[in-house]
This record gives sequence, C-alpha cells and structure tokens, in this order.
Amino acid sequence: MAVDISDPAFIETLKRRERAGQKPSYLRLAIAVVLLIAYLVPFYYLFVTVFKTTDEYLRSSVLDLPTSLAPFWDNVVQAWTLGGMGRASINSMSYAVLGAGLATALAAGAAYGLTRLKLRSANAWFMLIFAGTLFPFQMFLVPLFFGFQRTGLINTWAGMVLVYTAICIPFPLLVLRGSFGAIAREIDEAARIEGASEWRVFASMILPNAKGPLIALFLIQFTFVWNDLLFSSILAGSPEVRSIMVALQALQGTYSSTGPNVVVTASLISSVPTVVLFIFLRRYFMSGLQLGT
Amino acid sequence: MSAPLNPPISQAIRAEARKREIAARRRSGRVALLFIAPALGLVALFLLFPVVFNLGLSFTRWQRFSGLDEFGGLMNYQRLFMVPYFSDVVINTAMWVIGAITLPLAFGLGLALLLRGVPGEGLFKSLFFLPRVLAPAAVGTIWFYVYAPDGVINSLAGAAVGQDIDYGWLFESHTITPAIIMTFVWQTLGINMVLLLLGMAAIPRDPIEAAHVDGASSWQIFRHIVWPLLLPTVFVVTILNVIAGFTAFDLIWVMANGYPAQRSLSLAVYMYYETFSNSRWAFGAAIAVMLSALVILVSWALTVMQSRVEERIR
Repeated sequence: MAVDISDPAFIETLKRRERAGQKPSYLRLAIAVVLLIAYLVPFYYLFVTVFKTTDEYLRSSVLDLPTSLAPFWDNVVQAWTLGGMGRASINSMSYAVLGAGLATALAAGAAYGLTRLKLRSANAWFMLIFAGTLFPFQMFLVPLFFGFQRTGLINTWAGMVLVYTAICIPFPLLVLRGSFGAIAREIDEAARIEGASEWRVFASMILPNAKGPLIALFLIQFTFVWNDLLFSSILAGSPEVRSIMVALQALQGTYSSTGPNVVVTASLISSVPTVVLFIFLRRYFMSGLQLGT
Repeated sequence: MSAPLNPPISQAIRAEARKREIAARRRSGRVALLFIAPALGLVALFLLFPVVFNLGLSFTRWQRFSGLDEFGGLMNYQRLFMVPYFSDVVINTAMWVIGAITLPLAFGLGLALLLRGVPGEGLFKSLFFLPRVLAPAAVGTIWFYVYAPDGVINSLAGAAVGQDIDYGWLFESHTITPAIIMTFVWQTLGINMVLLLLGMAAIPRDPIEAAHVDGASSWQIFRHIVWPLLLPTVFVVTILNVIAGFTAFDLIWVMANGYPAQRSLSLAVYMYYETFSNSRWAFGAAIAVMLSALVILVSWALTVMQSRVEERIR
C-alpha cells in the first residue's frame, strides 16, 4: 500500500489513531481497578477478621467492619500460644535461612567447578545433579521417610536442614551455571597467573560478579522452604521441630475448635516474613522469575 | 641468509610442555571435583538415591509390619486401577490438569494485555503477584473461610440476590474441586501475568507499529504478531502450570481437611493418604512412579512442541 506521507488527511488519520490508542487507557485503568478490588476481597476479609473476637465473628456478617481494633493482640497471643507458633516460627526461620543459604552457597561452588575449571565431561556432572528436579516431590516422600526413620534423622532439626538444602541445590545450580559462564574468562585467568588460589578466585572474583542472581535465588529458596508443608509434615511432626506451616495446619480444619478469627490471624502471622521480604526486595523477586525461564 | 623467525623447538621441550599442560589440566579437574562434591553428595543422598530406591520399593509388597523384602511384581501398579473410587481420582486430577493449563494462562494473559501501559502498571503487577509469595497452606486457610457456609462468597452472593445463602462449597462433591482450583488460579494468575508481560516486552515494536500504520485492528495485531511471538513464553508458563496441576497437594490438604472423600481429590493427595495414613508404603511408591511418569511425559511433549515453535519463528 503506497501512502503519501505529506498528505495532511493521512497525517490526520494517523494522529486520530494514535489518540484512539491512548484514550482507552483510562477505560482500561477503570477496569483494572475494578478487577483489583474483586481480587483483593480475600485480603479485605483477612484484615477485618483479625480485629474481631470469636463471639463477634459468629454474630456478625464476615464482611462487617470490626467494632474495635483491640481484639487483634488477643488473637495474636492466642494463635501464638495455642498453635505453638513461637517455636514453629523459629524452626522455620532456621530451616529457611540455613537451607536456602547453604543450598545457594553449595550450588555456587558447584557452578564454579563446572564453568571456570577444566573439568572433563562437565555437562554430564551437571545433568547428574540437575536430574534431581525432574521428578515431582512425591517421588522422594516414601524413601525419605523410610531413610529418616532408619537413621534416626526423623523429627530432628539437622535432618530438616539437610533435606531442604539438598532440594534447593539443583535450581540455583542451573541459574548460576549460566551467570558464571557469562563472566569474562580474563578475570580469573589473570588472578591465577598472579598466584591466587582457586578459592580466592571463587570468593573474591566470581561471587561478587553474580550478586544479583545470588540474592534472587536465596529469596526464592527461602520462600519455598518457609512455605513448605509437604516435607515438614512427613519428616518433622513433633512439636519441637515442626515447621510454621505444620503448626498452622494443626490449628485449621473442619473439626477445628479454634475460632476462625484466631486461625486467620495465625495465617497472617505465618505470612509476615515472605511478604516483608517481597515488599522490600521486590526487584530481586521479579528478576528471579526471569532466571527460571 | 636470514635466520628463521621462530627457532625450531626441540621435540623434548615440546613433550615437556605438553606434559605440564596435562598435569595442570588434571589438577584443575581435581579441584573442580572438590568444588562439586558437597552439592553432588547431598543431591545424590537425598534426591537421586531416593528416586532409585522408590522405584525398587514400588515392586515390593511392603506395607505396615511386613513385606519389605517380598517381591510383588506389578501388583501395586495393577492395584491402583482396582480401587473403587479410582474413577473419582482420575476425574478430579483431570480437572486439575485442564484447569491448571487453561485458567491461569487465560486470566494472566487477559490481565497482561489489560495492564500493559496503564498508569500505575508496576503497582498493579505487584498486587496481583503478591498471593504468590504466600504459602499455599496460608492461602488455603483463608479461602477455607471464604468458601464457608457463612463465608465471604455466600455473603456477597446473598447480598446480590437479597436472600441468605449457606451453600457449603467445600462440602459438596460437585463444587469442591472447582472451588479449590479457583483458589489455585487466584494464587497463580499473578506469576502467569508477570511472565507473559516479560515475554511481551521482548517482542520487537517495529512490526506492531507497521501493522498499526497499515490499519490493522488490535485483534489482528494480537492474533498475527503478538501471539505467535509470545508462544515460547506461553509454553514455559504452561509447563509450570501443568506440573502444578498434576501435583496439586497443599491447597487440597488444607481446604478439604475434614471432607470425607478427601483422598479422591487428586492423585498426589491419594498417594499421600495411602502412604502415610494407611501405611501402604509400596503402593504409595508405585503411585509416585506413575505420577512422575505422567509429569515427565507431558513436560517432555510440551518441550518438544516449544522447540518446534521456536524453530518456526526463526
């Protein structure tokens, strides 16, 4: 189609089209706001419920605003004591920090060995470690339960740290293999000629160059471990070592005798760490999404 | 007249240099193994060995008190098909897989197209993404009360029609699976949207603008330019969704806590129930093997399709 770009009528249609392209953005904004409000209704429910007493919850409609903000602390105290959430949140925090931290560190070491050193059939070694993530988690449950019972690792703090560390290794390895591979070869070769040990090269040349992915990976794995219910419910059911999600699950359910206001408050408490991390480190979470694909 | 620029290197020197290089390479390889060893050791012990062990277990008769060393052949595999409520498990799992493939993608794509370029796009994205960082156990707990007879859904619906509704969404066999799937969609449409927006951002603007100038409608531009170039991202998202659909567990475990036929609500829940409530270890192992086979087969097929699509784009 040949057009005369100096034709004023043609330029006018172009401008009109461009204006038309911009205008509906307010209509779209309005639709987006309506959808967002509908989407956030469960959060509205969450925030009115944590300020109600059990009596108030059962008497009024679930959507009513609370009469006072005071019951919140009582709900927190009840959830904290009835659900044993104090102990459980310390457990989960240590599992998540140590599991995600160790996994990211070990994956970084392995990625260094695979990409920066002269390892024969590095690809095969990588595939071997990565093969662990091909399977759905259900494939590990029976053997882990059996093995943990036989070795006495069941219901132990160390057992949980070990199993979370192992599960969290393959994905960071996949990502870090890419990030380390993209760092210029000259950097570590120069350092080696100067006589730096491999450990020095790894710790002070390569790691600082991959700070972004390392933080993002730690956050993703921290969130996974903190949120996990499947492994912790099988391998660590006893009150001393159980995770926050097992504690939450024990409070909840059709036959639960605890008031909905307390159970919902418990679910709010159990979400605080990941939400706080998300709010302050959103940039890393979002960049972490790209890493996986 | 002139001396050769490179003096001839003697055979001996060359051999010596070669030997040194090989030695350096070997040393480097040994150090590399040291760096890999801790990760490999943990993964081998806690992931790789269990996979092999699980496969072996699935052929034994092992259940409570007996049978760990008794060979059962394919007994456990046949047993699954003879369970009286097997058809319920299959129907519910199929609903999960179909729902997980279609709904988060459809909602995520709709939102991505809607939010692109809207004022405050970043804030919208963050808020729609937020439920993703919550635990399925916490989300399931909140939605358990949202669906309760005196819960949010019934209150809103009751206000709309002007009469009290006390339908038990999570207590009726017709609505429990769709209801839990909708909670899953609520939690995952955000990550679908963000991944699709990332894919859209990578699409070159030129062909879109050219089509615009030529008078193509928004639908034509989407159908013929955006969608084909977005297909690789769509496949990645679909692989993530389909695995989540096959292995649906946490939400069902929490939201159907107390529902009499909970075990029939998905293959993953059924596996957990038979293994840890009924102590049928070998049977559970066999279900896990079949679940793995399904997941690997489907994600492999999708990966093959994805690489075909990518070839066609190039």
